[in-house]
Amino acid sequence: MQLAVNIIVLAAIYAMIACGYVLIYRVSRVLNLAHGELMMLGAYMLLATASLFAATPWLAVLAAVGLSLLVGVLVYFLLMRRMTGEMVLAAVLATVALGILLRGVVVLVWSAQQQYPAQALSVSNPPIALPGGARISTFAAILVFTTAVTYAALFLFLRFGRWGVRMRAAGQSPLLAAQRGINLHAIYALAWSLSTLTGSLAGMLIALDSGLTGTMVIIGLKAFPAALVGGLDSLAGALVGALIVAAAEVLLIHYVDPLLSDVVPFLVLIAMLVVRPWGLFGTREELDRV
Amino acid sequence: MSRMPRASGYFRTDYAQDLALMQTRLERVSVALFALGLLIFPFLASPFQLDLACQVFLAAVGSLSLMLLTGYAGQVSLGHAGLLAAGAFTAGILFREVSAPFWITLPAAAVVGALLGVVFGLPSLRLRGLYLAVSTLALHFVVVYLGGEYETKRGFSTGIVIDPPVLFGFSLVDGRAWYFVLLAAAAVTLLVSLNLLRSRTGRAWQAIRAHETVAEALGIGIAGYKLLAFVISSAITAVAGALFAYYRGFVSVEAFSLFLTIQYVAMIIIGGMGSLLGALLGAVFVTLFPYWIESTLFLLPGAQRYAGEVFAVNYAAFGLVMILFLVFEPLGLTGIWRRIQSYFLLWPFRHRGSR
Amino acid sequence: MQTAPLLAVDKLEVVYHRAITAVQGITLAAEHDRIVALLGTNGAGKTTTLRAISGFLGLDDARVTEGSVAYKGERIENRLPHEITRRGIVLVPERDKVFPNLSVAENLAAPVSRGSIAERRRREALVYQFFPRLGDLRNRLGGLLSGGERQMLALGSALVCAPELLLVDELSLGLAPVVVEDLLQRLVDIRRELNLTVILVEQSAAFALAIADHAYVMENGRIVLDGSAERLRDHADIQEFYLGQVGGARRSYRDVKQYRRSRRWYG
Repeated sequence: MQLAVNIIVLAAIYAMIACGYVLIYRVSRVLNLAHGELMMLGAYMLLATASLFAATPWLAVLAAVGLSLLVGVLVYFLLMRRMTGEMVLAAVLATVALGILLRGVVVLVWSAQQQYPAQALSVSNPPIALPGGARISTFAAILVFTTAVTYAALFLFLRFGRWGVRMRAAGQSPLLAAQRGINLHAIYALAWSLSTLTGSLAGMLIALDSGLTGTMVIIGLKAFPAALVGGLDSLAGALVGALIVAAAEVLLIHYVDPLLSDVVPFLVLIAMLVVRPWGLFGTREELDRV
Repeated sequence: MSRMPRASGYFRTDYAQDLALMQTRLERVSVALFALGLLIFPFLASPFQLDLACQVFLAAVGSLSLMLLTGYAGQVSLGHAGLLAAGAFTAGILFREVSAPFWITLPAAAVVGALLGVVFGLPSLRLRGLYLAVSTLALHFVVVYLGGEYETKRGFSTGIVIDPPVLFGFSLVDGRAWYFVLLAAAAVTLLVSLNLLRSRTGRAWQAIRAHETVAEALGIGIAGYKLLAFVISSAITAVAGALFAYYRGFVSVEAFSLFLTIQYVAMIIIGGMGSLLGALLGAVFVTLFPYWIESTLFLLPGAQRYAGEVFAVNYAAFGLVMILFLVFEPLGLTGIWRRIQSYFLLWPFRHRGSR
Repeated sequence: MQTAPLLAVDKLEVVYHRAITAVQGITLAAEHDRIVALLGTNGAGKTTTLRAISGFLGLDDARVTEGSVAYKGERIENRLPHEITRRGIVLVPERDKVFPNLSVAENLAAPVSRGSIAERRRREALVYQFFPRLGDLRNRLGGLLSGGERQMLALGSALVCAPELLLVDELSLGLAPVVVEDLLQRLVDIRRELNLTVILVEQSAAFALAIADHAYVMENGRIVLDGSAERLRDHADIQEFYLGQVGGARRSYRDVKQYRRSRRWYG
């Protein structure tokens, strides 16, 4: 039973991060390899706002969330916008470079020590007892809940919201979208800010649950196979992919070898690339330009 | 070979002249002077500078192999660090387990590299661009995991120590000796690359990079050439990894991170894709960059408090420079160099050709 | 009755990749509420001209190097696409004319309209009125529509943007003649109802000349003939080379293609 709980928690983590990859890829065919670092930045921003709003944790979280939206927009307008028209690979490498830049900046501003936003906010993280003798920590439970709510909100927005429809349109045919008056820059900026928002939320919750270290970036990178397994442009796929990768990882760690933890997602990735490169629910395509 | 703009009055009158690597007297003279400089350097330089030069040569080997694979054959690979690790671990494992000498481990590393090249290259038969990059990235993690497994299972948790290689009875410890060995390695790699590119293989690669479907329609067996690109590039990279292991005297998984791959990718981008000169320039730039940053850092006031986090400054500066090159100068240093060349050759005209 | 044309293209020159001049100094005009046809074979430069007007040159590394495109007196060449759409010029492209994974209703909801929300609702209702078939297909994905239905949807989504000038690229491509005739008739009705100006680019001169008021013929990037549609229908060269009606006696090749070529003495 504890195994099942672990799988669900890990799947929620991966899913929360994966939807960020999917949002940007679906709209602009760019793989944002800086997502892990942006996630980490979100957690650090929570640390920063925690010192400002130490008395009211909710306000700190809200402020950090607002900041992360701003960061997403800035990343688009300062960097990614200049990469339009270039090869997709160049844009991806730009995100890699951004990730490296962020890693350096974060250490310079906050030092490389492990941090504990939960302490800064004076909130505690007691374990909750579940049926079957399993336990889950409070923030892990909150994370699972947040993931569910986020996915529901994203589904509704993309399906029924006017700008959600426009985002999907821009992802399918950017040229036609521009010809129908849709401002592509606005769409891309929206995608980046939503993606950074979800990533930051994930980072914050993980940091509140188990502390803020450099390994968070690795978690971000491990969530990418989850997105790809499901299909890089499918939100539903990201959920399914996260479950698959999380299940594989937890089970293999438990029954085979704990050292496998970092490599299992990539083994699943390779398997999927061999069998069905565009993932379970992705659309087959072969694009090269942004 | 002669893609450089040339002043008029320069003609080639027979095939031998066309095939020659250096064609004008100016080229021959400058190369000779440069070679002379390289040979004299170790006798004038400090040990620190010798070490820097050796690092540059090591980087150049890896950079040239990546340029062949990605810059010329068009196969994106983010698994470079994994291949370096493979070569280094082959050398380390053979040394530890069977005390194999240098002249066995190096070819063994090449063979392991070639075999891994087949594995890394198989996805390229089905995937392109982003998906290919992702598959090589995943394979990098697998290789690194295997190396880590070996380290922990055999008790080398801090890494494997290797004795200096023994060549013809001489133990290779002296900085100057290493300089010449690595210079030779880099020069050999450069010559091999140059000749590969001028051969049928090189032309096939460039055709594949330019337009794969058309290349196939022209009868070029793209599957074979893609795999060949991976195999050759990986073999060279593995040898670079083995040399790296011997030079440092030490092999450990931590050195072969994703950041190392990105450094090599940065080398070929900053240097300029599709140009061997670019690979070399990129290798020089990226290898020396951290040292430049450190020395400039200590010139700035108030830099003392960052002294403890020099690596973070390196990271940030590196990321920033890479972004600047990607955004403003996608053709890299070679692009800048060619623009300077064109400016002088075409002056007083501004552009070549008319509308 | 306004005398200034809605759209005036003056000695326009478009160059691809800084090397290939696709459009070599053309001058044309679209009067208010008129249907103007732009005819020519493949590679004549018609689509390039439409792209220059609608602002989509940059994607193919093309630029307007000389001349101007003036819309209501304002110069619009080399502007961004959505700026031009906001001014009321909407393009119905030749390929990729609908969003394949959006339903018909979503295809009509996605465009950004220039007018108010009420105006937009009115327009959407009008689209279903002009194309009743789309009403039956509201939930069908755009990519699953037949050719004729897709063209209807493409026209409809363009109309939702509330254009004043509608550019239609190759309406008849890949469609059965019966379907094309039907579409063209609806286009005429739409034009009358909404006071639209239409520029129609067509390879099929017969269809275009049937509904156009004025027409231009392009060859190799130049306009070689222009006039009212009736005049062109009766023109011997048009009849022979574009309408396929061979008749009358030709004496020598010098009688062939007596186009008035506009000469550029300065280029």
